[in-house]
Amino acid sequence: MNAQLEAMPETAILDLPPEVVKLAIKDLNFFYGSKQALFGVEVAFAANAVTALIGPSGCGKSTLLRTLNRIYSLYPGQKATGQVLLDGEDVLAPRVNVAALRARIGMVFQKPTPFPMSIFDNVAYGVRLYEKIGKADLEARVEDSLRRAALWEEVKDKLHQSGLSLSGGQQQRLCVARGIAVKPEVLLLDEPASALDPISTARLEETIAELKSDYTIVIVTHNMGQAARLSDHTGFMYLGKLVEFGETEQLFTNPVTDRARDYITGRFG
Amino acid sequence: MTAATNTPGLRVSRRISEYAFLIFCWAATAVALLFLAAILFALLKQGLGGFLKPDGHGLDLDIFTRSTPAPGSQGGLLNAILGSIMMCVVAMVGAVAIGVMAGTWLSEFAGESRYGKVIRFLNDVLLSAPSILVGLFVYEILVAPLKGFSGLAGSVALALLAAPVITRTTEDVLRLQPTALREASVALGAPVWKTIWSVIWKSAQGGMLTGALLAFARISGETAPLLFTALNNQFLSLDLTKPTANLPVVIFNYALSAYDDWRRLAWAGALLIAATVLTVTVVARILAREPRRS
Repeated sequence: MNAQLEAMPETAILDLPPEVVKLAIKDLNFFYGSKQALFGVEVAFAANAVTALIGPSGCGKSTLLRTLNRIYSLYPGQKATGQVLLDGEDVLAPRVNVAALRARIGMVFQKPTPFPMSIFDNVAYGVRLYEKIGKADLEARVEDSLRRAALWEEVKDKLHQSGLSLSGGQQQRLCVARGIAVKPEVLLLDEPASALDPISTARLEETIAELKSDYTIVIVTHNMGQAARLSDHTGFMYLGKLVEFGETEQLFTNPVTDRARDYITGRFG
Repeated sequence: MTAATNTPGLRVSRRISEYAFLIFCWAATAVALLFLAAILFALLKQGLGGFLKPDGHGLDLDIFTRSTPAPGSQGGLLNAILGSIMMCVVAMVGAVAIGVMAGTWLSEFAGESRYGKVIRFLNDVLLSAPSILVGLFVYEILVAPLKGFSGLAGSVALALLAAPVITRTTEDVLRLQPTALREASVALGAPVWKTIWSVIWKSAQGGMLTGALLAFARISGETAPLLFTALNNQFLSLDLTKPTANLPVVIFNYALSAYDDWRRLAWAGALLIAATVLTVTVVARILAREPRRS
């Protein structure tokens, strides 16, 4: 037993071959004021794949996600050091146009956040920010986005009703449609199903699985079943550090670190 | 069985103290409502009398069609009504512009910074400043240097009273908007101004409108600041650079006069203001209660 414990490494991070990497994170540290929340995170996310981030509450999963599109920079006390390379370009560099960056990296939040406007305008909101396209093109884009988010059939006859009139699960798929309407390259999902019932969750998972072919998807989840079902790669985080990262199947069946094994087998967390 | 239900003495004494407290609450509410009812009753009785012809037969539409009379002659409140409306509208345009921008700054940009805290505190001081002080202030900076009372000076005084109310309510309702809503817009690549303009204000519009209507209700009955600024005008005038008639000052002057028909007009004017404020308050309540729909 002792011998086996000693043999297990502290951390185990799978190196992805460079040609599949969409986002590469190098020595990332994050600070909420003086409190450090991420410690030297080093990992890469593959293109056209789903990467899940799991770990106990407060381990830094959401923080990691929030550095990728620099949404944290809304808050003056928060700061990140290190590198986040999107196609080799450092997202954290001071000169980066964050608005343009966020159009390339979409985000869906824990709770549905429909805007107080019609379903159509919700989806068109981001498109109108960046593109001058005609009415017909815009309508086609909205329809396409709603179809991909598996919401079109439910809302096609009431596009001009308020987005707030939809159910929670529909609102969350509306947020996914809104996110993909701007044609991002990366989609960040921060516990997108935590406020949804099982049926809505299942529909959202189908949506995510279908979106995989076109996007790089990173999903933070508390639901390990969801991580196992949806993702190709999984990262396990603990106390602000990435402890283990690898193929999902391997990580869930045969974790190589103590921490990950204990968490996955339900011994803590 | 818990100890309380086991002990009849304790149970009885608790019941008695509960009833005593309840009766006290009822009595206090009744006293407050009694005075409100007495005021409203007096206002309705005397005020509705003001809308009748002096001989008591038929409605006196002169109130809306004729200006304030000389003693002993027939007249109405037309000049005062129009003057009040004009001054309130001008004041509200200014106060909404200032209040919405200031409230937005406090909520979205100032945060807990020291500068923000100071501004918020000063706004709260202004919120409870005696209105007569505001009147004197505007007298000193506008009326005295320009050597003349004017409706515009009155509007400025009223705007100074309304703006802090709107600033405060705007900040409060904007702070109630979920952080996730702001982040969702910013995460789509929207700049902060666009997020505020199309998402946050839109989401908070019911509450912001309520704040503006409450501010309007506050200034529509203000008398003191107008005594020093707009003064009064015996005649119908649409020129806000001249002294301008208004309901509160007319009520003030006429209610103290010795002439019955002037006092009759004062009551009618008072009823008019009360009815307007009541309507506006009810509308504000309905808007505040309306569920979030677009």
